[in-house]
Amino acid sequence: MKKNAFFLLVLSLLLILSACTEGAAGTGDSKDKGNSATTEKDSIVIAFEADAGTLIANSDVNYVTDTQIRNIYDALIERDGKTGEFIPVLAEEWENVDELTWKLKLKEGVKFHNGADFDANSVKYSIDYILDDANQSFYKSRWVDVQEVTVLSPYEVQIKTAKPFPSLIQRITEDLLIMEPGYVEEVGTDEAAKKPVGTGAYKFVEWSRDNYLKLEAFEDYWNGTPKIKHLEFRYIPEFSSRLSAFLSGEVDLFKNIPVDSIGKIESDGNSKVAEVASARINYLALNTFHDGPMKDEKVRQALNYAVDVDELLEAVLNGHGTKMTGPLAVINTAYVETEGYDFDPEKAKSMLKEAGYDPESLELTLDTPNGRYPMDSQVAQAIAAQLQRIGVKVNVQVNEWGAHLEKIRNREMKDMFILGWGPAFDPQSTIENLFTEVAPYSSFYDKDLEAKIYETNALFNEDERFKGYEELQHSLVEKAAWVPLWQQADLYAV
Amino acid sequence: MLDYVIKRLIQVVVVVLLALTVVFFLIRLSGDPTALFLPPDAPREQIEEFREKLGFNRPLHIQYGEFMVNAVQGDFGQSLRSREDALPIVLDRLPATFQLAISSLLLSLLIAIPLGVLSAFKRNSVFDRISVAFTVLGQAVPSFWLGLLLIYFFAAQLHILPSGGAGSVVHLILPMITLAAYSVARFTRFTRSTMLDVLRKDYIRTAKASGVPTFRLVGRYALKNSLIPIITLVALDLGTLLGGAVITEVVFAWPGIGRLLMQSLMNRDFPIVLAGVFIIALIYAVINFVADLLYAYVNPQIRVK
Repeated sequence: MKKNAFFLLVLSLLLILSACTEGAAGTGDSKDKGNSATTEKDSIVIAFEADAGTLIANSDVNYVTDTQIRNIYDALIERDGKTGEFIPVLAEEWENVDELTWKLKLKEGVKFHNGADFDANSVKYSIDYILDDANQSFYKSRWVDVQEVTVLSPYEVQIKTAKPFPSLIQRITEDLLIMEPGYVEEVGTDEAAKKPVGTGAYKFVEWSRDNYLKLEAFEDYWNGTPKIKHLEFRYIPEFSSRLSAFLSGEVDLFKNIPVDSIGKIESDGNSKVAEVASARINYLALNTFHDGPMKDEKVRQALNYAVDVDELLEAVLNGHGTKMTGPLAVINTAYVETEGYDFDPEKAKSMLKEAGYDPESLELTLDTPNGRYPMDSQVAQAIAAQLQRIGVKVNVQVNEWGAHLEKIRNREMKDMFILGWGPAFDPQSTIENLFTEVAPYSSFYDKDLEAKIYETNALFNEDERFKGYEELQHSLVEKAAWVPLWQQADLYAV
Repeated sequence: MLDYVIKRLIQVVVVVLLALTVVFFLIRLSGDPTALFLPPDAPREQIEEFREKLGFNRPLHIQYGEFMVNAVQGDFGQSLRSREDALPIVLDRLPATFQLAISSLLLSLLIAIPLGVLSAFKRNSVFDRISVAFTVLGQAVPSFWLGLLLIYFFAAQLHILPSGGAGSVVHLILPMITLAAYSVARFTRFTRSTMLDVLRKDYIRTAKASGVPTFRLVGRYALKNSLIPIITLVALDLGTLLGGAVITEVVFAWPGIGRLLMQSLMNRDFPIVLAGVFIIALIYAVINFVADLLYAYVNPQIRVK
């Protein structure tokens, strides 16, 4: 009897194990990836913390989704990673005919993965897709000013806007990916979201939800067949597991290494950490929407004097980040150097006193997310310690990311909070979304400055525009709109 | 008997509906999900429009009523993120979770029953002490720690097993062991103690006295009787394994229901969370329902009560 039961248990375990192998065809090759590191690779595995939300273009505003599907779809225009300049991809030229009209000339001879030709119709279809309510695109809010897209000829398209839309090229660069109209119409959006077709360097092979996405090189790619033939994204939610997968050679590349794990990766002989300046900036917001000391310019200036950004960068981030002194980072196309506030605790103290606050009895609240930005909650603790040195007591409140964001959006934040913003290439979206009354992301608002912001945004003349942003940057620093921290460093394990 | 079945069936429905209700209101305490889905620069009107479309701006009791009416028809709405129906997304992850739960359950039984029997039979021996120590350890070790340790040794150091993911038998080994560790400890202790009880019984002494060989004595007389309470425990654990393998699934990047729920909760993807809770509550309630029926079948006194 016991023997039989035991036998039955063993048998069922074996059955289950063998059941796994049925769906496992083709996964055997994963084992030998680890030791082929020395020979030239034609396949690469990249780990992400989460799955893509969908594989259809122009829908999900999320870096994880976007980074992956940009291998399948092409954009019309891209940005040079170093200079921030626009570079042509599927669009060859673009011009601003008048304040409300744009014309784009498209590349000829580009093919979609299913063999269809790329043309002006695909561009019209992709923009219309964002605007169509039925598709519930999360990008729609950024495109509402687009009135009509007209196909002028097979490779020429015209975009009419309802009001001047100087940042349209930026929107095209950051948001728009080109879909194949024939394919989406034929299979429907549900199917197209699972089996995408684009003009990108890689075509879709297989997507196992929460598991992996496999792509292969597109032989007819307009820019030449990619050298790496197989591309796989693997989803590993837990950082330590991601790190182990990397160290074991199962994964070739992954992003967002915490600064305190760099040593572990570098001590492994075959790996290193590569650092690239991110397009995201981190800052300490001083909330003027909240009735409190932050409404006082002098207090805000005092805090700018009291926070030692160099020390934070050195001690908390081990130097991984680029210090900022004003509202824009060096990567921003309108960046000008502004005179920052140097660390000066004595001056901070006297300014607080001038403003009528005794530093010793001032108590402030600082909200921070946990794990959203590099060392965010540790940075908050360190800022609290720095302010403590001039006598100001800071209560650090650590929030789960969703709750943090919602507190900001609902304007429930108290004195200060930590947040990041990106991509911060473009002055309009950065300044408009951070320093006006409708946008709570820095929760700083000044009536005169706001008027100036809207005035500058509507300017079409490049020089006037640049000058406007230059003046704005200086004024924002003067008013101590926030405590600028740094431009993040993206750390990759390779 | 039929009365009893109907009564218990109604209880199943009530339990599932209650679980849905509690989670529906709890999850809304975490706030409004729109902030996480729209781009940060979305103007306020756009956010309002989106909230209206999804019904988040209506009074809570109306949202609840509508949700329940749809839910009983199997419609949990669409995922806020991927815009696909929520229930199929959850059901899609169910096989992976089942695979992990059942295999770790079988593995733990395979180890625990012989271990428990031997411990009881050789009570207070060195073997018994080691096995007791082992079970205490097994229950005390947190699964995320054990999981990471296994990954570190077998994947990062020895390179003999994959660190995570799913797709083949080798992918199953580490998460299966991690998940089984706790059950092994529980089952071993339980087998040992029920076995000790049985071994003290008169009929065992009689059998022993009449010269029944040890192996037969244990297998045929003792184990058979001590297995019944273990089956109860297995039923209970199966429910937990199916719904509660969240940590193991996250650590090993196993594409199951626990990990899906965890991520959807972080993303505030309410429809998926509710569909997931529905499935887990249903499984739990049904397993308990079946267990109750089995007891009633075995023991008529329960039926009368």
